[in-house]
Amino acid sequence: MIFKSLRAGRYVHQFWSKSTLFLDCICGLGYSVISSSMKEIKVKDASPMCTLAPDTEPRIQSSSSVSEDRKCSSISVKSTPEIEKKYVHHVYDAIAPHFSSTRFAKWPKVAAFLESLPTGSLILDAGCGNGKYLGLNSSCYFIGCDISPSLIKICADRGHEVLVADAVNLPYRTNFGDAAISIAVLHHLSTENRRKKAIEELVRVVKKGGLVLITVWAVEQEDKSLLTKWTPLTERYLEEWIGPGSPRVRGPSSFTLESIPETEENGLGGHPKDSRVSLTENMQQSSRSTPQNEDDSMVSRDGKSQQEYFVPWHLPYHRAEVSGASAGALANGLAKKDDKKGAVVYNRYYHVFGEGELERLVSGMDNAVIVDKFYDKSNWCIILEKTLEG
Amino acid sequence: MRLLTHNMLSSNIKGVTNGFPLKIQVEKVVEKQVEINHDFLRNIFPKIDWKAFSDASRIMGYDEMPEEPPEPSVLELNVEFLGKFHHALLELHLEEGALLCPETGRKFPVNKGIPNMLLLEDKV
Repeated sequence: MIFKSLRAGRYVHQFWSKSTLFLDCICGLGYSVISSSMKEIKVKDASPMCTLAPDTEPRIQSSSSVSEDRKCSSISVKSTPEIEKKYVHHVYDAIAPHFSSTRFAKWPKVAAFLESLPTGSLILDAGCGNGKYLGLNSSCYFIGCDISPSLIKICADRGHEVLVADAVNLPYRTNFGDAAISIAVLHHLSTENRRKKAIEELVRVVKKGGLVLITVWAVEQEDKSLLTKWTPLTERYLEEWIGPGSPRVRGPSSFTLESIPETEENGLGGHPKDSRVSLTENMQQSSRSTPQNEDDSMVSRDGKSQQEYFVPWHLPYHRAEVSGASAGALANGLAKKDDKKGAVVYNRYYHVFGEGELERLVSGMDNAVIVDKFYDKSNWCIILEKTLEG
Repeated sequence: MRLLTHNMLSSNIKGVTNGFPLKIQVEKVVEKQVEINHDFLRNIFPKIDWKAFSDASRIMGYDEMPEEPPEPSVLELNVEFLGKFHHALLELHLEEGALLCPETGRKFPVNKGIPNMLLLEDKV
């Protein structure tokens, strides 16, 4: 066990020293798995690589867990709140092909973790999105799931073994997997109980001794200007959507956000930012470095950090036209047009994590321990090891 | 959906105490060849619920998996068996059909090889 933990930790560090080389190889591995044709596949998928677009564009900090617990007590933790259905699930379903086209770069830390796992492992990816990490270690076997059928279809078309399922309620046997990953998923869950439950599920489905890697967007963003492009959700807003009396159905007319800030962030025009330079800079820092936090703009007047946001996604008109979902979204107020940008703008719900928040979520768990934790590229990350069966 | 996945899936409907194994309704099975990975087969073998696996392989039209679980040593000694185990576990796909909860009978559709395991709100 100790050996394994060391191994996982060491790998992460080793990774940086050879990361230049690594960058050159990892971006190409998109496809599946035990399959015979890894070589051909690499070639096939190798062209668009080398821009390590931030896979994740993280952001914000922790809030009122106690009142949150109380708010949710009457509703099953596994029951999906309306805000997640409308501002996570529906959005990803509508933007899936465009989202996927901007999500090909593999995050080095995740790749390093996957590569560190023993040959022949069964790796479960809960919230796999477009499946870019499935098959990343060709000696292992991957099964992915996501709640968005549109994203899962993209994975299946690429030959991955996937299913549609909810990360808060995995339809898996206990102790079956050898390792699990949750990459940029938990920040889309709108209550602390649900975020905690999703972690419990990841631990439940791996074997004793199995490792679980979790990454989430951080409040403490490296690029602070990103924050200005997001729409902070007010206390009152959250109360309405997540609170006990939250309307399960609500007309679009009563819901108006003040503004949808301008942003270039999601690769409008299909040019993900080349982040090689910033990546190199990051590599020179310790992987465990803690960011300077608490930019004033993140803290609301009452002193609490703002952690709940809408983060815009710009779906260019030429893509929106081919997607029937966008017409519906525009009609019912879930998306709006931005003629200046030539895009349909969707909002995605995010709860960004503060420093220590992931650790706090797992602190009460008696069947797993934290074997590594780090901040990297505006994400908080932990690696857990399951210590007891069940 | 491969039989490996079937051997892992379990109905997670509220109140169900034993959601495994899901019953398979077959409409269409396809075969897709993949390279054999001995380490993976050795690793996964002890975790496989053999009865569920051999029953599922027969439902999928493949009769080569014995009803009784073989000794683990067979993986080292019997190359022919290893190939068949690999085939049943990873190369047979339920392309169209459904998975049924063994307790409630709730049907989870499988279309284009993708099981949809989402539940309605009142079932979580």
